[in-house]
Amino acid sequence: MSELLAKVAEILGAPESLVQRSAEARAEASGNTVDEVLQSWAGGESIASSAPPAAEAPVEEVKEEAPPAAEAPVEEAPVEEVKEVADETVHEVVEQVIEEETVELKKESSLAFIIGVATVAIFTYFFAFSIPKNQSADLVAESLNNEIIVSQEVLKGAEVYNQLNCQSCHTQNVRLLIPDSQNGKVLKNKFANETIIKNTGLLRLGPDLSTSATREPTNNSKWLARYLTDSASVRDEIPHPNYDFLSATDLDYLLTYLLSLGEVNE
Amino acid sequence: MKIKLIPSNEQDLSRVFIFLLPLVVLLSALVNFLRDAFMSFSNILPGNQILNYGFLDKVSNQVSFNFLFSFILVLTVVYLLSKSLGRSIIIFPIFFLTGLGLIGIEFVDVVIGFIMPEQLQPLGNTSILLLLKILLVAAFLGLIFLNLLAKKEPSIFLSSQFLIGAVMFYLISLLIFRNDYAVMSDNFFINSMYLSTHIYVGCSFVFLAILYFLITKGLQATLFSKTLGTISFWGYLFLLPWTGFKYFYGTTLPDWIENVSIYLSISLLIPLLALIVNYSKTVATKENNEPIFSVLISFAFVVFGITNVLQIVSSVSNVTPIVSLTNFEYSIRYGYMYSLILIMIPFVYYLVPKIYGRELVYGKLEAFNAYLLGVCVVISLSLNALIGINSGFAWNAGANAGNPTIYGEGFLITWSLISAPYTFNLFLSLLFLLGAFLFTLTVLKAIIGGAVTESETVFEIPGDYDE
Repeated sequence: MSELLAKVAEILGAPESLVQRSAEARAEASGNTVDEVLQSWAGGESIASSAPPAAEAPVEEVKEEAPPAAEAPVEEAPVEEVKEVADETVHEVVEQVIEEETVELKKESSLAFIIGVATVAIFTYFFAFSIPKNQSADLVAESLNNEIIVSQEVLKGAEVYNQLNCQSCHTQNVRLLIPDSQNGKVLKNKFANETIIKNTGLLRLGPDLSTSATREPTNNSKWLARYLTDSASVRDEIPHPNYDFLSATDLDYLLTYLLSLGEVNE
Repeated sequence: MKIKLIPSNEQDLSRVFIFLLPLVVLLSALVNFLRDAFMSFSNILPGNQILNYGFLDKVSNQVSFNFLFSFILVLTVVYLLSKSLGRSIIIFPIFFLTGLGLIGIEFVDVVIGFIMPEQLQPLGNTSILLLLKILLVAAFLGLIFLNLLAKKEPSIFLSSQFLIGAVMFYLISLLIFRNDYAVMSDNFFINSMYLSTHIYVGCSFVFLAILYFLITKGLQATLFSKTLGTISFWGYLFLLPWTGFKYFYGTTLPDWIENVSIYLSISLLIPLLALIVNYSKTVATKENNEPIFSVLISFAFVVFGITNVLQIVSSVSNVTPIVSLTNFEYSIRYGYMYSLILIMIPFVYYLVPKIYGRELVYGKLEAFNAYLLGVCVVISLSLNALIGINSGFAWNAGANAGNPTIYGEGFLITWSLISAPYTFNLFLSLLFLLGAFLFTLTVLKAIIGGAVTESETVFEIPGDYDE
């Protein structure tokens, strides 16, 4: 059959896959075998046509079969190629098969779709973000009145901490769960400073730092300074970045901030 | 081979993008590898202001989730939108400039990160250019809407639906990112919503747009059901933005939003099942039997499926407290990104002959690379999930506290559980970098030395809005 298919494809000047599919559709429509259809196309007797079956090709496929003129790729224009075939019987059959695959696309309104997507986006923004965010802020503001006042040095240290992206590994006790709360109170205070809020962290890879200033040896500024600049010299079993490139002032600010952690939980 | 500096239509623009895309993927893989290296060996490797884990993590986020993402998004919109709307893009010069501006501004953010490291935020973006970025994405979205309104096709094809959803939520994510931090819970609200709208929705929607194009046009298969595709679209659009809150379980977020997030994450099963059925039934009718091309699409689909399963598994009430604030979320975040990168590879392979008129031969190198990248990504995601579960168990067992008077003692237990997977992850990052390099090599080989074949031709048809 493959030789026959190749022969017909050559006669039609169409890809084998298209001829195969056309022959199958034709065979189904006429009640003959695919071989018989192919033989008739290859020069045998023509097969009487019957009413084409209802096409069931989903819309996406239809588009692929009949691409719009603006985008028509050269190798995907089977209709035009078939027109060049001299054999009128074959010409008629192939054209009919292609007609069989054409279905009316269901009309969809662009405007309705745009409105739908925009509505979901706006709904999400307000109901998943804006409203609960404000609700949460109000709750915190109502339940707590202990605003924390931090010194300028601590604030500068918090900025250095933020710029070094320490919060990508360390949290500052953000969960109300029991395993966390044994470290100290969870930070629920009404902060006024954006940097300090951001420093609470989103992922806990290294140890939590919320009470680091109240524990050994991180309450010792000399140990801390050495650890931050040459971590392997004091603790080599766990990798920790070295910040020996920090200026002395920035390192001092950072130490001041780290030594203040623990106070903010009280 | 001729690349026009100022393209006159979407085909020309796609040509520029396809040439540069492998290089952007390579850059992203390189930064990721450096970050992982400075994570595992930070106390051995010499560090400075640039070469340290904290900074590399920020740059990696900017390069992968912003620069690479915007690059892929613009390329996909430029090529697929006109295909699925049945007409060439209207007001093309403005469209071109907006797309270029968007990519350019994401790249400028990478550069600013190196010049002014303090300006770069942990999840990428600098505050300097954020407003401009919002305006550009809004303009891009407006132009897409204009094109959609001027469409010739009666139907709106799935690929363009997903692309429009992706750009819409790109805009929403940037608006969210601009919000002020007033109280501590804002930190979780803003970052969680940014992650879910920008990465979960953005990456998965661009992935799905390309997937639907490739399994029909690329594999020459008949789409099984548009209804199932529509279920996937609206399902993911409604559900995905809410799914990030569950990773902040137990924090100061309101309880109701954590619970809603958990329930909606479990509901991801609905669009996922619709997608799986649609994918498998569609692929069953494929006529393109090129095995490597199919394998690449399958790997991308499997990675996307795994990511969805991880989302659903982490919503189980017993699992959520364990995996919260751990690397488990990393595996989901990167799952969406990796599935997008993996689907880009067959997309680029498909486009090289169409756009450049050069044949891409699927040889041993392409086959090796397909398996290398696919296996690498699947193992990497599994390892990150494992790290998340292990560290979560350790934290919940009290490892975080350890001795109440000695800092970090309990962390030794955690580190003993996760250090080996981290080191193996670094090795996988190296393999992924190799894969990205081989991808670049195969594309350049085809563009420069591939046999000449017929390329797609664009016929200009004047439309109502054409200039």
